[in-house]
Amino acid sequence: MKSRKALWFWYSLLGLIVFLTVFSSVLAPFGSNEMNMDEVYSAPSGDHWLGTDHLGRDVFTRLLEGGRVTLAVAGGSVILSLIIGIVYGGISGYLGGVIDTVMMRLLEALITIPSLVIILAFQVFMQGGMWSMALIIGLTGWLVTARIVRSEFIRLKEAEFVKMAKMFGTPVWKILWGHLLRNSVPAIFVITLFNFAAAIFTEVSLSFLGIGIPPAIPSWGNMLYYAQNDILIGAWWIALFPGIMIFMTILSINFIGEAWKDPERRRVND
Amino acid sequence: MTAKWVGKRMAMGIVVLLIVSFLSFFIMQAAPGDPAAAFYGGNAQTLTTAEKERITHAFALDQPVAYRYVAWLRETVKGNFGTSYKEGRPVSTILMERLPNTLLLFCATMFFIIAGSIWLGTVAGMKEGSIWDRGLSIFSIATSSIPAFWLGILFIYFFSVSVGILPSSGSSDVSGHGGLLDTIRHLIMPASVLILTHVGIYARFLQEGIKKENRQYYVKVARANGVKEAIIRKGIMRNAAIPYLNYIAITIPSFFGGSIIVESLFGWSGLGQLTVKAVVTKDFPLLMGSVMITGVIVVISLFILDLIMYAMDPKLRKGGVR
Amino acid sequence: MISVSDLSIQIHDKPIIDHVEFTIPRSQITSLIGESGSGKSLTVSAMLGLLPANAKVSGEVLYDGRNLLSESDQVMERIRKKDIFTIFQDAANSFSPSVKMGSQLYAFSGGRVGDAKDVYHMKMHVILESLGLSLGIVEQYPFELSGGMLQRCMIACAFYVEPALLIADEPTSALDMVLQKEFIELVTSLNKERGTTILLITHDLDIVAEAAHTMAVMQRGQVVETGTVEAVFAQPVHAYTKRLLASRF
Repeated sequence: MKSRKALWFWYSLLGLIVFLTVFSSVLAPFGSNEMNMDEVYSAPSGDHWLGTDHLGRDVFTRLLEGGRVTLAVAGGSVILSLIIGIVYGGISGYLGGVIDTVMMRLLEALITIPSLVIILAFQVFMQGGMWSMALIIGLTGWLVTARIVRSEFIRLKEAEFVKMAKMFGTPVWKILWGHLLRNSVPAIFVITLFNFAAAIFTEVSLSFLGIGIPPAIPSWGNMLYYAQNDILIGAWWIALFPGIMIFMTILSINFIGEAWKDPERRRVND
Repeated sequence: MTAKWVGKRMAMGIVVLLIVSFLSFFIMQAAPGDPAAAFYGGNAQTLTTAEKERITHAFALDQPVAYRYVAWLRETVKGNFGTSYKEGRPVSTILMERLPNTLLLFCATMFFIIAGSIWLGTVAGMKEGSIWDRGLSIFSIATSSIPAFWLGILFIYFFSVSVGILPSSGSSDVSGHGGLLDTIRHLIMPASVLILTHVGIYARFLQEGIKKENRQYYVKVARANGVKEAIIRKGIMRNAAIPYLNYIAITIPSFFGGSIIVESLFGWSGLGQLTVKAVVTKDFPLLMGSVMITGVIVVISLFILDLIMYAMDPKLRKGGVR
Repeated sequence: MISVSDLSIQIHDKPIIDHVEFTIPRSQITSLIGESGSGKSLTVSAMLGLLPANAKVSGEVLYDGRNLLSESDQVMERIRKKDIFTIFQDAANSFSPSVKMGSQLYAFSGGRVGDAKDVYHMKMHVILESLGLSLGIVEQYPFELSGGMLQRCMIACAFYVEPALLIADEPTSALDMVLQKEFIELVTSLNKERGTTILLITHDLDIVAEAAHTMAVMQRGQVVETGTVEAVFAQPVHAYTKRLLASRF
């Protein structure tokens, strides 16, 4: 009972963050690139709730706008990695045999390469806008999804109802879509949640290093990129708030993911 | 049996390195301009005609891509990664300068993460339902939700800017004569950021493993028969250790990714910071070299972990499943 | 030797064991029989003081004049160590998978009674040989041995410990017919030669007929009938026992 209440808290927190960022253009008190050279590095006050940055831009406004960018990049990349993961894992798990073995060996090898290194290598050529960022994160983030889909498909393939369906001559696409994929949804959902959190981490990390989303577009990572220097002159608010937003977002995703990971609690929620 | 297993794992490591080398080669191919120029960077103009011919020949630029790849790979295996655009020095020399710092940070953090997580995980796992058990679960989810570099920024604000007891960046003082104590002073912040954001998840994995093992049939049998609690616990730890080690192996690549960012934040002059620098300055030979050497380090650490697991898991040793 | 009276166990406020009464006479083989889910194993857990934390228990398990249900954990640990040996159903999972058999056998036998390693080696070798187990198994891991061999290893430890009470919880259900018969012979010989009191928990009437002296029939958490094996087999009173006996042939 207690844990269910806690779960609702995390749902609402995540919902609130998504709501604030999606409607940032309506909710934000200033323009995200509205500079005011008279008010650089002003600490949080009545005018600027969360202070201003080195160009006098409102941190609260950029926080909401930046959240929209960060969450959009993470969301886009997760959809991409979900599709690749399902196709790769599905083929491997459904076909089995030699193809499965070869595909899994390749996957094992790919998993051992730090994905951040691959992303860094790609960024040299592809440093474009936010969607190329989403593309790169998506292209490197499907490995675990593929592994989960494969193991679910292998497990379900042997299930009685799938064998029955095959016996009755159900077309292959129907078995794949209606039986195997549909019953894998809970497992895929959990891994996709964690992937989403990982994608946020990757975006903010790269932008923080100055090689992610172009600096002109506000994102949580980009804000922290400038915060590195701002912190040295004591402007703590520029670093603190984006970090708290990232932390809250990831934290609620992690708690929701944990709750869904536990099959017993999943049943309670159904 | 052992030889066959070692051979299999080594083959796997070589496959990984081959994939990394494809990636590196791709970087060079995609680099703007002549690959020979790319390989020798800003120094290309200073090369004599004879040297240029040698390079053209060595890289077989008139040959198909596959052939060129093999030629390049041959040079790489020999340790010739080319010359850095920015510094005009051989990439291999630069890499070797950076390697000790990265290994120091990696080994120091890994040591504390493993030691700390074993301690926390055991205490929490053995007392199911206790405050330790529930506390560690929350601690681990919370700490793994913090971006390591953000914690680093806060640390810099607190320890360097406000209190001023620790240096905010670098891996040794400017003079370079600070000695071991100075290196440790520089190591404290980057290492503790990495440790704090990682120790929880590893501890939690062990904790869950121990709790699961505690419910196993053989534990019930042993308890029912009055086997000493110390012996039972030793058995539980042994059996929980195998998946724990496996988890470390799985997560080492992403841990490495995290340390790249922390290195950059703290100006720790290691390979991670070098990789980021190479990307920012579009120093292609340097990037290729860093990517390759990172691959090598990961493959070697995984191989060491594999050997430990092999020694601990009789099923693996006797050629069983898993 | 042990008398269970008015034993009731509730888990999550659901009664699982309901006012159970039976006795285990000294130097006899007593059989507790019932289908799976009838509460046999939970009754054993209660006797050993190993109930899950969420279980609520009431009643008495009298052993040597002491109520085991109200003894402290330390006392129960000592009793489990000194007086009782328990063989479980699933021999294949009764040993830790990554520890050599040698040290596990020691923990289950010599280590319990406090024998030094060399004393243990001499005594155990004789027992292992008498059970037809090669001495090489001490260097092997559980997954390298068959279920039958592992069950015999357990019996070897029981022989070594010479407990006052041997509890065997469905010891034969994972074994094939030949091994089942062999196991029953070993248990009865332990009872005959050393006078060990044995509690045999099973769902197999053939085993009861072959080995036990007295029996208690359990159904849905209750003991519905007790008595000597001859008496119950000849004249079952309860309807459930009658049905059980009828289905036997």
